[in-house]
Amino acid sequence: MNRRVVITGAGVISPIGTGVDEFWRHCLQAKSVVMPVPEQWLKYADLRSRLWSPLRYDPESLGITRTERLQLDPVAMLALGAAREAIQRAGFTLVPAGERSRAFALPEVDSTRVGVYLGTGIGGAHSFLQNHVQHLYQRAHESLKVYSEEYAPAEDSERLNGILALMAHPPRYHPFVVSMLMPNAASAGVGIKFSLTGPNVTYCVACASGTVAVGHGYRAVHEGRVDLAVTGGSEYLYDEHGHIFRGFDVAGTLVRDYVDPESANRPFDEKRSGFLFSQGGAAVLVLEELEHARRRGATIIAEVIGYAETFDAHSMMSLAPGGEQIERMIHAAITDADLSPHDVDYINAHGTGTKNNDQTEAEVIDRVFGKSVLINSTKSLLGHSIGASGAIEALVTALSLRDGTTHICKNLDTPLLGLNFVRSVEQHDLRIGLSQSFAFGGHNAAVVLRRYD
Amino acid sequence: MNANVQQRVLKIISEIINREESEIRLDASLRNDLQASSLDQMTLFIALEDEFQRTIPQEEVTDLRTVKDIVDFIHKKLQEPSPT
Repeated sequence: MNRRVVITGAGVISPIGTGVDEFWRHCLQAKSVVMPVPEQWLKYADLRSRLWSPLRYDPESLGITRTERLQLDPVAMLALGAAREAIQRAGFTLVPAGERSRAFALPEVDSTRVGVYLGTGIGGAHSFLQNHVQHLYQRAHESLKVYSEEYAPAEDSERLNGILALMAHPPRYHPFVVSMLMPNAASAGVGIKFSLTGPNVTYCVACASGTVAVGHGYRAVHEGRVDLAVTGGSEYLYDEHGHIFRGFDVAGTLVRDYVDPESANRPFDEKRSGFLFSQGGAAVLVLEELEHARRRGATIIAEVIGYAETFDAHSMMSLAPGGEQIERMIHAAITDADLSPHDVDYINAHGTGTKNNDQTEAEVIDRVFGKSVLINSTKSLLGHSIGASGAIEALVTALSLRDGTTHICKNLDTPLLGLNFVRSVEQHDLRIGLSQSFAFGGHNAAVVLRRYD
Repeated sequence: MNANVQQRVLKIISEIINREESEIRLDASLRNDLQASSLDQMTLFIALEDEFQRTIPQEEVTDLRTVKDIVDFIHKKLQEPSPT
């Protein structure tokens, strides 16, 4: 069974905007949010990179109830917020699932034929770390406090207070910590909130999680296993001590050597130095079988027509030099869509801004597509939101095809290999777009989208 | 002060168990009358911790049965010094 699959709804939460309309407007305006990292992180480590892209989101305005706010990690709340927007934009009515229920039902669909396919790189690591700190420090902090107040010589008090301040921890060990930290909580949360009883799967594939999730959601609809796929990615990378940031910092992957913070993040530029760490975000797409969408008069954003994934089998943290498996993946995705490379008008690149990744990606694009295909990196605006990034970029690809325009590749002074990067927002005849992601571990994935006429 | 505490407790109970405040009587049993599950009750006490800025260990609340028991418990908790 080979059915056509269209995108009928989308939702997004990102550092530059919440909701598809605001997000897309700010993309086309090349808006970025680049700030110094929180001051308290520097008390715990000497960080080489000092910039990040913080995320502002208000769970209450996303329709997250008090109970959900108490029981869920932010990664799941972001997924719920983006999923709610996507489902509503797809035109489904949300009705209470029952008396006293905080969940919704979607009366227009057979919920057994709706699957949830979400990606996340680190799931509820935020909750894990907050509770770990509480577990480690609560008793030690109490004992040291008693010693400091009752027994320590007066001249030591300043030093002890400094140590006590470093041992600050959340007031409680959270009774829901297990269900908060488990990576599948985001997809499970979406399934519970909207009473969706089809397959419910979490893809944990680092920076490719969002793309892999969209690809597998596409296949499930295409092959007739479900009629609708609620798919995308969610990530939340903040913790109070800068632990997650430090992990990427010590690996040498983050922006450095910048003079001007606004121009520090520069994917595909000769002067790039690493990626801009994002606090996180989420994007959710509703994928729907074409006739199902037509029958209910849904508005179609774009069509998903192909997907492929390969694995480098080379290194946990580096792309294989030459990008052989990326090239194979691109060819497989294009073949899956029954196209040739010259049919592709636009590539939403992985484009992190790290030295080796961008070089390899640019070389592969040059080899497969040549110099005319239009290219941008959404990470040049948002920074890198790991497991959410592929889903956000699939959304950008869909909106670019819908509107025949796309955002610039920001801070590009000297582009790699003379490729056709987007330098200004203009109208283009964009029919086919490809969005690709590569991940720590060695995972490569791409989705191919077509403009829906 | 007393009425204020009671109001805040009722508002939180109403949100956690998803019922109108007007349906919640002071003598109502959380489990039997309001059908609050054990997870609801766990959530309720962390919500009360946040609202009143007091630590509420589980062993202190196992005997609380009715809404009034909780209101009285919170009153008592508020007599304790607030954490620094």
